[in-house]
This record gives sequence, C-alpha cells and structure tokens, in this order.
Amino acid sequence: MTPPAPRSDRPIFLELADRIADDILSGAYPPGSQVPSTTELSVHYRINPATAGKALNRLVDHAVLEKRRGLGMFVTADGPEVLRTQRQGELLDSYVAPLLAEARRLGMTTADVVALLQSHPGAAAATSPTHTTTAPAEASS
Amino acid sequence: MTVTTTDPTTRSAAGAPVTSTPETSAGIALQGVTKSFGKTEVLKGIDLHLKPGKVYGLLGANGVGKTTLMSVICNHTFRSSGRITIDGEEPAENARILERTCFVHEDQRWHDDYLVDHILRALPHFYRDWQPDLAERLLSRFSIPRKTPLKKLSRGQRSAFAVCISLASRAEYTFLDEPYLGLDPTSRNIFYEELMREVAERPRTILMSTHLIDEAANLMEEVVLMRRGRIELHADVDEVTSSMTAIRGIDEAVDGFTAPYDVVSSQSLGRIHSVLVKGALAPDERARAEALHLSVEKPGLQEIVAALGILDHAVAQNLPQNSEVSEAGVTS
Repeated sequence: MTPPAPRSDRPIFLELADRIADDILSGAYPPGSQVPSTTELSVHYRINPATAGKALNRLVDHAVLEKRRGLGMFVTADGPEVLRTQRQGELLDSYVAPLLAEARRLGMTTADVVALLQSHPGAAAATSPTHTTTAPAEASS
Repeated sequence: MTVTTTDPTTRSAAGAPVTSTPETSAGIALQGVTKSFGKTEVLKGIDLHLKPGKVYGLLGANGVGKTTLMSVICNHTFRSSGRITIDGEEPAENARILERTCFVHEDQRWHDDYLVDHILRALPHFYRDWQPDLAERLLSRFSIPRKTPLKKLSRGQRSAFAVCISLASRAEYTFLDEPYLGLDPTSRNIFYEELMREVAERPRTILMSTHLIDEAANLMEEVVLMRRGRIELHADVDEVTSSMTAIRGIDEAVDGFTAPYDVVSSQSLGRIHSVLVKGALAPDERARAEALHLSVEKPGLQEIVAALGILDHAVAQNLPQNSEVSEAGVTS
C-alpha cells in the first residue's frame, strides 16, 4: 500500500491563509493586533517563506491584514467582519452542498437533514445572532 | 580551464562569453552539461537555471545523477562537456565563486583523528560568510559532541554536522545531498526549521536532493525532477501536482474512463483501481467521472515522483546497458 499522501486540492498558501483567518475569527488576533511574520510562520510550519508570504498577502488583498512598514502585519479594524461575511458566503458551497450530497447517498430527504440539524445539541447555541462574537473587544480599534 | 559545448542541442553561440542579460546570468546556469564515468554517461545534457534566493528540491530515483549534478556544479567533479556559470562566471578554479558555494558530500570523509572542533576552526577560512554563532547554536540544537573524533560520530550525527556546516556557511549557493540520512524525526524537524529560518531571514539558493518528498515538499519552491541523467521536469511544486490527476473507483469504470488518457501508473486493491493520468481534467470530464462514481483528486508530489520512478526502474530493467537499479521502488 502506498502511504496516504497529503491530498488537498488546495495549495498550501490557501490552507495557511485559512488557518490565520480562523485565528482572527476566534479572537486570538483581535483588530489592531499583530499576526506572526513570514519568518515565524515559515519556521513554525516548516514551509517555504514564499508560501507564507503568499498567505499573508492574500489576507492583505482582502483587507483583513494591513502592512505597517518596518513593523509587520496587523489585523485591520473590520478584518473579522470581512472574514465573517466571506465565510457566510462560502457556507453553502463548503458545507451545505456536501452535506446534502452525503444525505442523498444515504437515502435521506432534505426534510430529514433539517430535522437532524434541529435535533443537534449545537443547534441551540447557534440561535443567537451571528454578529455577536466571543472575540474580546479591542478598545483601541 | 576551457570547456567547449559539444552538445548540438544547446543553441548558445560557440565560445561566446556569457550570452545573457544580468537578469538571466544571476544564479546558476547549466547548458548541455554532460558527465561520463568511463563508458557510463551519468549526465546526458543538462540545461538548468537556478535563480538566486530560491529553494529547489532535486528529486528522482537512485542512480539518476542527482549527486553527480551537484558535484559538477560545485566543480568537485569535472564535467565532460557543457557550460556552467554561477552569477555569470565559470566556477572552475574560481575561488571567488566557490567560496560562495557549499556542498558537504553525503559520505564526506574527514581526517580520522579530527574532532568536530578542529573542523569548526578550519571552516571560516573556506567560507566568506561563515557564521560562528549560528554554527554553535546548531551544534547544540543537534547535540553534537565537540570533543569527539569525527570517525566516532553516528550516521545521524554526521548528517547533523553536515547540516550545521551547510547552514552556517551562509553560502549563497548551498547544496544538500539527502541531508536527513540517519536523522531521527525530531532532528529532521530541527533541520527543516533552521533551514526555513535561514532562507526566510537571508534568501539564498538551496538545491536539496531528497527521497522524503512529502516531508520536504512544503520547503521547496520549485522541483527539479531527474530521470536517467536528464531533467524530466522543472516547475513550481503546485504546477507539478496539478500536472497529473489521481482517479480511483471500481475497476471497469476506471479503465473505461481513463482509456483515452495517458496513464502513468495504476494500482489495484480488490476491485478498486487507482490510476494516475497525465493532465488535469476539464470540468465536463470531472462531471463525467463523478457520474461514474469515480473519485478525482490532485495527487501528492511524492505520488507523482514515485510513479515516474517506477517507469524509470522498468525502463532500466529492460535496457541492461543502463546502470543497475539499486533499490526497489519507493512505493509498493
């Protein structure tokens, strides 16, 4: 048997950009705070600095991070909000479509899926509006 | 020393000095480089350009000429023909260029009684940019004993010592030949970390041969894949992994679907057939595959190189004039 090779259809810089975005959404890096540098990411994840740089630049392009010359990369004031909007737009393709496809393979109807979602313990937690977050509020932003 | 280009495929004007603009003469350039040992031609016309400040993975089955290629670039081995320049200059007998290159051979021999310390004291004379502090730090991270004769170091310690020298040399052109041999996973991680720290803080060209492809794939910016003395492929890592598609499913469905494709390798497990084909699938082809319940994935770099290596081994076995195939394939 061939050992399982890492098989992601997405380039690593996208995976890394997502990981940093996850940390911004979770509040680990609130608006105005500094994210790790290219070198730190490169050493920590043992990836080529060019790849780490591409990940950071992608977030800069989306106005989630901003470069401060000589200092590094910082989360923009509305960085988390940009990410939330972006991720909500992707929810359908990334999660709902695969869920429905798997349900169809298992012979479940859409109504079955809805019932399943409502019965899940996590469903109650998600009833509060999405824009309130657990991220610590950053006064300086 | 003078070297004439004998390979008719290289189009450089005979005898012309450096042909190109400063942009293309920066870095390492090889044109029609060959190397024969007796009747065995190990390098069969290599054209290659390594740009400054990038990390290159040098991949390929055993015996395809990876070590010889590195050796010839550093002038540790004389090439038979062809042209090599480093930053536009011929490296042979050129101390100014060679002190900016570092190549510690995988089976580097030292004087038997030398201690690690002796070598460390000698090295600053060979490398213009030698970093004593970095050498100290690396030696302690790898726990290499300073007062031990080199001949008493274990395989892993010798590899770690070679890594220390290679990184602390700060050579703009650094060659690493299977630098992980004998290193345990922790030491390999230290090596990868320190390598990335070095190239991130001070970009330099690294050409590293490796068989631990999945482990090292993310370290590389570009891969150079060799087959039988030639460069088979030289591209971005992402380009290489998108140059093939892995298709998996029930045997008849897979065979039917892949019939028009160029199949590189195939494996079976019961009725499940996994096939690697050349090229990416067009969206309508992808949809057709999904309709047939086939899974379509982007293969890993190691999978691609192993598949091509199997071709290499098969060819070598059919053509006995080729040098022997010394190791079973990396896949089974």
